[in-house]
Amino acid sequence: MRTKKVFLVLMALLLIIGLGACSPAAEPAPEEESAPVEEAAPVEEAAPAEEEAAPVEEEEEAPAEEMAEPVTFQVFYPVAVDAPIAEILNEYIEDFQAEYPHITVEPVFSGGYGDVQTAIQTTIDGGGTPPALAVMLATALYDLNNAGYISPLDSYVAGMEDGDAYIADFLPVFLDNSYAYDELWSIPFQRSATVMYYNMDMFAEAGLDAPTNWETWATAAQTLTTKDGDATNWGLQYPSGWPYWLFQPLAIGAGQNILDDDCTVVFDNPAVIEAVQFYIDLSGEYEAMPAGVQGIWGTAPTDFSSGSTAMIIHSSGSLKGIIEQADFEVGLMGLPGKEDGSISAVPGGGNFYIMSGAPQAEQDAAWLFVEFLTQPKYIADYSINTGYVASTSSSYETEEMLAHTAEVPQALSARDALQQGGAELATQNLGAVRGIFHDYLQRAYNGEMTADEAMAAAQVEADAALVDFCE
Amino acid sequence: MANETSKPKKNPLPYLLVFPTVVFVALFTAWPVLLSFYQSFFRQRMNIAKYREPSFIGFGNYIELFEDPYFIEVIKNTLYYIIGTVPISIFLALFFAIMVNRKIRNVGWLRLAFFHPMVLPMVSAATIWLFFFTPNYGLFNSTLRFLGYSGAENWTGNPDLALLAVIIVAVWKNSGYYMIFYLAGIQNLPDDVYEAAALDGATGWQTLWKITFPLLRRTTVFITIIAFIDAFRTIDHIFVLTSGGPSRSSSVLLFTLWQERFENQDIGISAAITIIFVLVLLAFTITNFVMSENKEA
Repeated sequence: MRTKKVFLVLMALLLIIGLGACSPAAEPAPEEESAPVEEAAPVEEAAPAEEEAAPVEEEEEAPAEEMAEPVTFQVFYPVAVDAPIAEILNEYIEDFQAEYPHITVEPVFSGGYGDVQTAIQTTIDGGGTPPALAVMLATALYDLNNAGYISPLDSYVAGMEDGDAYIADFLPVFLDNSYAYDELWSIPFQRSATVMYYNMDMFAEAGLDAPTNWETWATAAQTLTTKDGDATNWGLQYPSGWPYWLFQPLAIGAGQNILDDDCTVVFDNPAVIEAVQFYIDLSGEYEAMPAGVQGIWGTAPTDFSSGSTAMIIHSSGSLKGIIEQADFEVGLMGLPGKEDGSISAVPGGGNFYIMSGAPQAEQDAAWLFVEFLTQPKYIADYSINTGYVASTSSSYETEEMLAHTAEVPQALSARDALQQGGAELATQNLGAVRGIFHDYLQRAYNGEMTADEAMAAAQVEADAALVDFCE
Repeated sequence: MANETSKPKKNPLPYLLVFPTVVFVALFTAWPVLLSFYQSFFRQRMNIAKYREPSFIGFGNYIELFEDPYFIEVIKNTLYYIIGTVPISIFLALFFAIMVNRKIRNVGWLRLAFFHPMVLPMVSAATIWLFFFTPNYGLFNSTLRFLGYSGAENWTGNPDLALLAVIIVAVWKNSGYYMIFYLAGIQNLPDDVYEAAALDGATGWQTLWKITFPLLRRTTVFITIIAFIDAFRTIDHIFVLTSGGPSRSSSVLLFTLWQERFENQDIGISAAITIIFVLVLLAFTITNFVMSENKEA
């Protein structure tokens, strides 16, 4: 009896607390969430905003005492790659702070791209202030934009001495994922590409040249596939556990990328279907790679550098590790296209985004940091030390980069492959659209549906998923 | 008796003692659940401008979920996952516990061997298993082949095997943990019962079946509950092993919840999934308790 009474009292208490907290918050919740972000910004932050804009437009009127107004901002940075990102970034931050003594940068290194985005989303949705700057996937553009999380960057670029030249310096394919609604939302920084690595020694031994089209590619892979007792040394390993990105070069190589714009995906085009079929044929017809969906992202580089597989499709970001481990000549190229002489690649990786929920002063300081880090010197250094593809043309002219590419010419091949690449899949409602494409692409890979059926079904579902977003 | 209880002395101490817990539970459990309950009746999607402000749609989210064939598949996967992990982990846990409860040399090492998967973080464990599952030369496949298996080897890429692969890892990870509870339970069993059974000439099997097992019923109830909750809760390894694929064949409820909330930024739908989640767990826990308490009486 007694315990029951206590239990009841506790439950009642709980309910009262719950209701008490519920009633005031329940109604104004929607307003509350958006209000602090939008309202607070102009009122409180307007003043420092103008002050902080000063360093950008130094020539106009930049009273020294205003410049000295100290600002501290956070940058969220993903570190889930095989390079000492935190160490490198911290060095850059020191350099930056030496040049801008009034700005303090607080880096927050955490997880992968997804983790950074999740952390920022939960902060903002919970009513908190996001960091002023973050590196997130270039393809997150529309999701971030529609949620109102990010600030446009055009005014900053316009405020630069030669903003047009600054933007024109970036490789065009990287900027493809930076514009939406005619505005610039992100600056490419930590970028990669899908590429093909091939064992040049094996090719030479077999008297083969680097493949130039689908036909020579498939036959080379077939020739280089050998049996070794129970195990097979495959001519080609092509990961497809997270497939859209690695598949896209095939589609582009067949003459049609899988998207036209943020509202139009092209899954059921004959060229795309042909590309799906080619992937299937590589295992089915040519028996040059294992059949079905391949969850081999982690093992493929090791298999390649140990010499047990002749070619792999992977990120350009794996170049450094592969070269260090391989005791043969490593070739790197874009994926051969269907027609002779064509190659293709797709960009990947992350861009700098400035968060609209951060105080204006912090956003302005964050831009200065972005501008600082995208100087040729730092882009080159970052590329050399991490293996990411340097995102501006000018960075390839720096002394350090020239010395580096003389030693590792493959770094240039990644860039060259991208010159013929297409945009990475970035659409409205990206999570759903990408999920649908993955679903059906893998059904086709696994032989559950024909390439034809799968892509037709994917098109129907993706169109439906886009309707609400694109009316 | 009646007189004594009718005028109880008000002692504030017990209430004072539970107060911090109550506050925490209210703040971090009750309140989020209530909030999700409220949000589940609204359409709110952060990545689409016109739905960013919540609008009331009644049971719209629930209807949408149960009309979505993909969600039904996820429910099915979740059921398979529970059926695949809970009974087997519990059986293995009991088996291990009985094994390591005997007086054999170096039993400490044996216990450690069974328990160590629990100490590893799930993501590291899954990464190790990803290598075990590698077709061609992976340890798991090599072992199976040695034992005469000649079937499909592409564990994480084959739609018929992917869910099984994540189940195997979960069972491997959890059995040792549940073993500890059984071990504690067995070591607390009264000796006299066993002596009496021995005197009556009970066989080892009879002792196990008629004495050990019934006496461990409360432990079993407890383990069943945490195993069931674990089955809903543990998804870290799915991210590493299969990303829910291929073709969503290894997507389970919590994984889908994460996708809806953080990839699709759909607050209404994810709130509805949360409520379904809470209701299922609540229903299971209450039935389990009621059943075990009834048996007690």
